[in-house]
Amino acid sequence: MHAAALNQYDADAGRVVIDEHLGHPGIEATTLDYGQINDDMLAMLEKPHPSYFLLLLGFLTALVLGVISLAIQVDVGIGYSGISHPIMWGFYITNFVFWVGIGHAGTLISAVFYLTRAPWRTAIYRSAEAMTVFAVMTAGLFPILHTGRPWLAYWLIPYPNERMLWVNFKSPLLWDVFAVSTYMTVSIMFFMLGLIPDMAILRDEALRRGHKLKALIYTPMALAWRGTNHQWVHYMRGYLIFAALATPLVFSVHSIVSWDFAMSSVPGWHTTIFAPYFVAGAIFSGLAMVMTVLIPVRVVFGLEQYISTHVVNSVCKVIIFTSMVVGYAYATEFFIAWYSGSPYERAIFYFRPFGDMTSWTLTGDHNITFPQIAFWLMVFCNVIAPIPLWRYKVRHNLVAVWIICGLINVGMWFERFNIVGSSLQHEYDPASWGEYWPTIVEVGITVGSFGFFFTLFSLFAKTLPPMAIMELKEAANPPMKHSPKEH
Amino acid sequence: MLVPPTNFEYAPSEAYNYMTTCRECDAACGMMVTVREHRAQKAEGNPNHPLNQGALCARGQASMQALYNPDRQAAPSSKAGGALTWEQGLQEFTQRLNTAGGQVVYLGRPETGTHKAFVAEWLQAVGGGRKVTFDLLSRNALIEANRIAFGKAMVPDYAFEEAQMLINFSSDFLESWGNQVENSRRFVNMHAYQDGKRREFVQVSPQVSLTASKADRWVVINPGTEGVMALALAHVVRNQKGGYDWLERYLEAYAPEKVAAVVGVEAEKIVELAEAFSNETPSLALGGGPVAATEAAVEMQVAINILNAVAGNLNRTVVFPEFSPAEDTSHQQIVDLIQDLNAGRVKVLVVDDSNPLYGLPPELGMAAALQKAYVVSLSSLKSETAGAADLVLPALTPYESWGDAAPRAGVRSLQQPVMAPVNVFDAKAREDVMITVAKGVRRSAFEGITTYKDYLQKAWMQVQSETGRSGLFDNFWVSVLEEGGVFGSTPTTNVELANSVTRVSLPTPAANEGLTLLASSSLLKADGSGANKPWLQEVPDPMSQIVWDSWLEIHPDTAKEMGIDDRDVVEVTTSQGTLSLMAYYYYGIHRNAVAIPIGQGHEGSGAAADGFGVNVMTLLPAKQDASGNLVFSGTAVEVKGTGSKGYTVNMDGNPRQAGRDIAAATTVAALASGEEGHGGHKRRTEIYPDRAETAGYYKPYRWGMTIDLDRCTGCSACVVACYADNNIPVVGKERAAVGREMSWLRLERYFEGYGDEFETRIVPMMCQQCGNAGCEPVCPVYATYHNPEGINAMIYNRCVGTRYCSNNCAYKVRRFNWFSYEFPAPLDQQLNSTMTTREKGVMEKCNFCVPRLTYAKRQAKALGRDLRDGEVMTACQQTCPTQAITFGNLSDPNSRVSQLAMRDDMEQRDRQYEVFPELNFKPAVTYLKKVNTREVGGHSDSAEHA
Repeated sequence: MHAAALNQYDADAGRVVIDEHLGHPGIEATTLDYGQINDDMLAMLEKPHPSYFLLLLGFLTALVLGVISLAIQVDVGIGYSGISHPIMWGFYITNFVFWVGIGHAGTLISAVFYLTRAPWRTAIYRSAEAMTVFAVMTAGLFPILHTGRPWLAYWLIPYPNERMLWVNFKSPLLWDVFAVSTYMTVSIMFFMLGLIPDMAILRDEALRRGHKLKALIYTPMALAWRGTNHQWVHYMRGYLIFAALATPLVFSVHSIVSWDFAMSSVPGWHTTIFAPYFVAGAIFSGLAMVMTVLIPVRVVFGLEQYISTHVVNSVCKVIIFTSMVVGYAYATEFFIAWYSGSPYERAIFYFRPFGDMTSWTLTGDHNITFPQIAFWLMVFCNVIAPIPLWRYKVRHNLVAVWIICGLINVGMWFERFNIVGSSLQHEYDPASWGEYWPTIVEVGITVGSFGFFFTLFSLFAKTLPPMAIMELKEAANPPMKHSPKEH
Repeated sequence: MLVPPTNFEYAPSEAYNYMTTCRECDAACGMMVTVREHRAQKAEGNPNHPLNQGALCARGQASMQALYNPDRQAAPSSKAGGALTWEQGLQEFTQRLNTAGGQVVYLGRPETGTHKAFVAEWLQAVGGGRKVTFDLLSRNALIEANRIAFGKAMVPDYAFEEAQMLINFSSDFLESWGNQVENSRRFVNMHAYQDGKRREFVQVSPQVSLTASKADRWVVINPGTEGVMALALAHVVRNQKGGYDWLERYLEAYAPEKVAAVVGVEAEKIVELAEAFSNETPSLALGGGPVAATEAAVEMQVAINILNAVAGNLNRTVVFPEFSPAEDTSHQQIVDLIQDLNAGRVKVLVVDDSNPLYGLPPELGMAAALQKAYVVSLSSLKSETAGAADLVLPALTPYESWGDAAPRAGVRSLQQPVMAPVNVFDAKAREDVMITVAKGVRRSAFEGITTYKDYLQKAWMQVQSETGRSGLFDNFWVSVLEEGGVFGSTPTTNVELANSVTRVSLPTPAANEGLTLLASSSLLKADGSGANKPWLQEVPDPMSQIVWDSWLEIHPDTAKEMGIDDRDVVEVTTSQGTLSLMAYYYYGIHRNAVAIPIGQGHEGSGAAADGFGVNVMTLLPAKQDASGNLVFSGTAVEVKGTGSKGYTVNMDGNPRQAGRDIAAATTVAALASGEEGHGGHKRRTEIYPDRAETAGYYKPYRWGMTIDLDRCTGCSACVVACYADNNIPVVGKERAAVGREMSWLRLERYFEGYGDEFETRIVPMMCQQCGNAGCEPVCPVYATYHNPEGINAMIYNRCVGTRYCSNNCAYKVRRFNWFSYEFPAPLDQQLNSTMTTREKGVMEKCNFCVPRLTYAKRQAKALGRDLRDGEVMTACQQTCPTQAITFGNLSDPNSRVSQLAMRDDMEQRDRQYEVFPELNFKPAVTYLKKVNTREVGGHSDSAEHA
């Protein structure tokens, strides 16, 4: 929203002059004007191509698969999954952390980059925000469905009751309840607030075309927006306040999620580095997911002018940075494990990359198991795969960026699995060491979670403007009398 | 029923204890059965009984599942006509006896009580015949050797506690050899570290059984050379001690240097061992068990007798009673029976719960022989033999019927029905059926007797007069019912080694070219009768930690040479056939031997037994030793890897403890020098006040426990007792395979060292009831919390099932209900009515038997006082034969548990330790280190690798 304020409109040239020092607006502002933006954005909400329904059907199938898996699990018992003693948390908590992580990019882009004046966020922040809301919705399901008695999950909410039962505020799981629900509430409100001016555009368009149903939906969401100066002043101030509110949440949510692990006594979990490590990882995976989704969107809808290579380039720079943070955290964990002198810590950090120590096995043999594969996959995808992004050419090659971001998504999932799965396999008591193999039901629910997320995102892409129309307009040529494309 | 009737005793939590006798094996321990709601719910040892003194073994604990076994014989049936009514069944039986013309055989277990005379009288009544006893794990070789050596055909009383040193030749005396409970108690009283000393126990054997894992030294001998080794030792001992000059020539051939090659032990080691043995007087040598049951088993026992004699142990640690009430247990009887059957000399064969069809090597032809006679099965449980019977008349279990036993001269133990017969089975007492049919055959039979109770009472009138108890018989009867029997002292007699032993020539065992098969004993399955009890299948074998299966013990060196990996499926072939099972890498076996435990591989003994594991007896040839007993070991065997992996269901996550000192050990030397303990782990200064200083906590009780690893033998009785008392479900093989077993108490088994020098450590692990627990703060809903008595209480109803508590438990003792488990009827009738059952999705764990505490506290409260030390026992503690577990109030500095744990006197501790003290969870369970006589090499220090 300050792109226009920062980049000066050159009346002589009849266009905005981009000052790279002040920040690139992300879109090809020099060639766009209000009318074209309006048309392009509204065109995205037109009746979809049949292939859209095909895609949606695919996502819905995945979702239904997940719902069926869940129904069976609730009916039979959580023993239907592969989670077992001593690995009491498996795919579900991995998925929870993964999706909460995905949910970080949106608020980071919309709030943090707003406050830190990174105007290239303009074209992507709406989609990223939507992803945040959907990812947190997805994530929020997992702590519930992973419990033994999900129908009693509401007991984690401190509500007054005649049995005088209360919740345990010492438990990190309770902190989770508050952290995630707060984050979700603020994310949704921030998202809805940002939508108001665009909703007014859609409302007007629906009224103009006589779409009664659309008008019925968009009118209340527009909250009687008329675009008066008075409204804009309040709106901008409100947006700023929300951005300021949301910013600490970006850091707090994943910190608290990390404390689910860090507050425990489990070797490999009990470490102070987890909060920054998790936040960096969340931003890392969140941005990778934004790229994974938006690069195809850009191609499908022909949005080259909006999601310019500059945006991709900028996101890639943040990805490189967070990749380094994550890589550094990995290295630190190993150093601390060695430095602590704790045999349990050392054992788990030996186990993760190399497998059983020879002194553990009966005859002094060496075993390699699944966690080692997960570990090296994590290192490759999160530390090694992003290295090519250091090159300008790679950052501007959309196919390369898309592949690398896809790998990062895989790597970050395995990072979470590595944390959740491998530590629990080898805790303090060797007689209780175990292995973890997921069953069909966990795979089903995991696939279902992707189905849930992408179904919601697909619906979003066709019902709400995936880009902030009014912010795009701010960055573009204002409608001037002598402008050649004036309507 | 809304209101329980008031005219009979009914109170859901009120327990009635009835004294009876355990009939799982011929040891006949006294048993006390807890009955609530008219259902027997828990078996415990009779504290009055001189043999077991309140303790029971795992099989005794699990006998409850014989009573409520879903696979009990439910109704009379015949092979020809299917289901029958009792009238039809009895008529058929009577008719068959009428036409048998005295060619009747009663095939049953060896008895010691009134039953012997009863069967004799019954056979007479039905026109003649004989009784054949069958006990697969018979100790007849020992009895025969004692007859040869001492003229006493009986098993002596081994005074373990008197022995200064013990040498055991392959016997499994802590498992299935004799009275396991009594042996364990007396052995541990000898062996446990006390007064700065420990008396040594040396195992001389080709295999390390659970018994042998307690040994301070394992002397590996070639399979079948126990006798040679015993005589070699005797040679040195006699030379040193003198006496028995007439043995000099006999023993000359067994000079250590002459036999070293045969036994596979260096001569110096033999001499060294013999000298140690000779220096300690009295000492004790014993041997036997299936591993030593070769063709020369009798000669081996004679050799051990000679060793005991020359070492001066006779009448000191090897004490003979005047007489033995036991019946002949030779397997020759059943071999003869098969011949008679085949020759058509038996018309009617009556079988009780004995299962020779399963236990005998197929080469003997029992299956075919059973076709030759009309077989009447009076069994309570399904079995292979009962399945082959022409007529099945369901018998009641010992819990529901009368009986008695005299396990030792002077000890008479009464067996009474503790409850009405389980309502879903249409069964009658075996002896009552026999009386009925006898009267049908001959009206004058059993005159004045209608039931076996009458017969028993008549016999006990005799007992009353023998024991010199005056007064009315009715009063005597009530008193023995209350006491559980008449427990007098055993009259003993002195024996001398007969010169005739020199005529016994010990054959020099011919070593097999390849591998030798040892049929080893199984702690839980015994002769196979344990296999149909779900608890005994689900509780891991303490050594291999394998459940629901058989395995082949093979030395890693041998296996690697043959290209066999751990857990590979192998094919095991002898002259008798081939079995395929899983290879289990084990250092505790001779490099040229493999072992398969007896007891699995049933086909017709019920759902819990059938199809699990293999029956090693099918691999054995029908050989007999000089006493007629079957030969269990020494068969040449071929082992071939198949390359595929076994369906492993073992409960040990890792065989080694990675230097973590969960099962800690020290040495006698370290204790003597004061290196051990002494301020090893001092109490640290803390920011927060101790809970004991917080109002409302630990007054008057803080429950705590000590477990003495030096006393623990790993017998697993505690584990089964825990299953029984806490309504812990059995999950089955598939679920156990993925770690869903529900045991609240497990025995962790860790190996230390490599090769022949390996050491086994067993540590019972249950909830440590931490004072600063990991589980409590992480529960979001307070489903687990620290209760005022120091127990990490678990509130099942409140549990949502996040399972965080389990993740945060360093001891990994929490169990989760992954499903709603079922107790297939009528096993549900066994459920402890003072304890809940849990539904799917909630966590559970050991709670120090809260219902027992509550019950005891209520009783104390009625007396207006607090509980006194020892008034309440946990289920595991109660059944421990060696009293390794002590439970009590840590808030009372004078309680036994406080004295043992020495929590207030950390500087003075020597063997005491808590597991993972560095985590500061402050567990309420204190362990006492195992004491070794030497350092075990290869102690891992894995932590240094990272």
